[in-house]
Amino acid sequence: MGATFVITLREAFEAALILGIIYTYLEKVGARDGVRYLTRGGVLGLLASVGMGIAVSYLSGPLLDVGPDLITIAVIFAAVGLLTWHAWWMRQHARLIRGQVQNRIDEARSSNRLWAVGLIAFTAVFREGAETVLFLWGIVAQAGGAGWGSMVGGVAGIACAAALGWAIFRGGRRLSLHHFFPVTTIFIMLLAAGLFSTGIARLQGMGLLPLSEPLWNTSWLLRDGSITGGFLSGLVGYRSQPTLPELCAYLIYVVVVGLLLFVRRAPVTVGLASASRS
Amino acid sequence: MKRYVALMAVLAMAVGLVGVAWAADVEVPLVIEKNRWQPDVVKVKAGVPFVLVITNKDKGPEELDMLSPRIEKVIPAGKTVRLKMPALKPGKYPFVGEYHSETAKATIVAE
Repeated sequence: MGATFVITLREAFEAALILGIIYTYLEKVGARDGVRYLTRGGVLGLLASVGMGIAVSYLSGPLLDVGPDLITIAVIFAAVGLLTWHAWWMRQHARLIRGQVQNRIDEARSSNRLWAVGLIAFTAVFREGAETVLFLWGIVAQAGGAGWGSMVGGVAGIACAAALGWAIFRGGRRLSLHHFFPVTTIFIMLLAAGLFSTGIARLQGMGLLPLSEPLWNTSWLLRDGSITGGFLSGLVGYRSQPTLPELCAYLIYVVVVGLLLFVRRAPVTVGLASASRS
Repeated sequence: MKRYVALMAVLAMAVGLVGVAWAADVEVPLVIEKNRWQPDVVKVKAGVPFVLVITNKDKGPEELDMLSPRIEKVIPAGKTVRLKMPALKPGKYPFVGEYHSETAKATIVAE
């Protein structure tokens, strides 16, 4: 029961974190439409996870051998792109609010972009969702006496992750706007950096990028599979045995996107401000 | 329309190439049964890519999870999956079945 709890908690944690932050963000900026898109995206992600779980069980041959891997890689890099876009969007918005120009989102501008919020929710849920569905299904399939205890553990893990997401939402709402934007932008940036380096690692594992030795091994201190390791992996991209390409991917992402997000560019602010006033 | 035909042709070629690449590699069998890997020490030749042919004889799915190099592969219940592995340097490469990590532990030894 304990083991399945840890697995599903770890798998669902990242999605809960992302959804918690973005729900709070949309609520703060008063973009009610976005909340709908986000929920729809999450539900679609869930349905797609179940669909993928079923599909994988019926596929065979090369489709089963490489299909899921290709989808995983595509979803990882799509999620990196979408999260980066979202962080950038939040950042622009924070500038508007700080400048006291306008404290609500420009509906016309935003509605064009809200579908992307739905996509973020979709990728966040779908990324680990299919795996979690397969895992839970496996428990049911093998259910003997201990099976049901494991099932309870698995469901409790997901519920616990959802509660964490909810806690972020509640806590985030109380946080002042002044603090909320920089803190969540940094969260999302580190999360995306971790995802980016995961994507690189998976490409290495698939033999599409050259392999390299791990630079160090801190699994004696903190295992990737433990609760804390899983949390830190989701939050900041912790790896006990990173390789040089993984580390470089992480650092390059943080530096490039950090510069993009946190270096002031006055003209952009003015441009957006005047656009939203009209 | 032409574009689609061209796209399909490229896809077909890609699938063909992948198929050829797949067929050429040495196959190494691996079984998961009663939530344990058999064998639990898999010996392979260092420096040569190979294909792990993993058969899941259990009623539930299992996920092969290796940290270095980072590989995750789900093997549905009752299925056989061909997992293309990169050329490994001499050394030990431990992995687990993530869904039963207490019992499903094994190591690939590249020599």
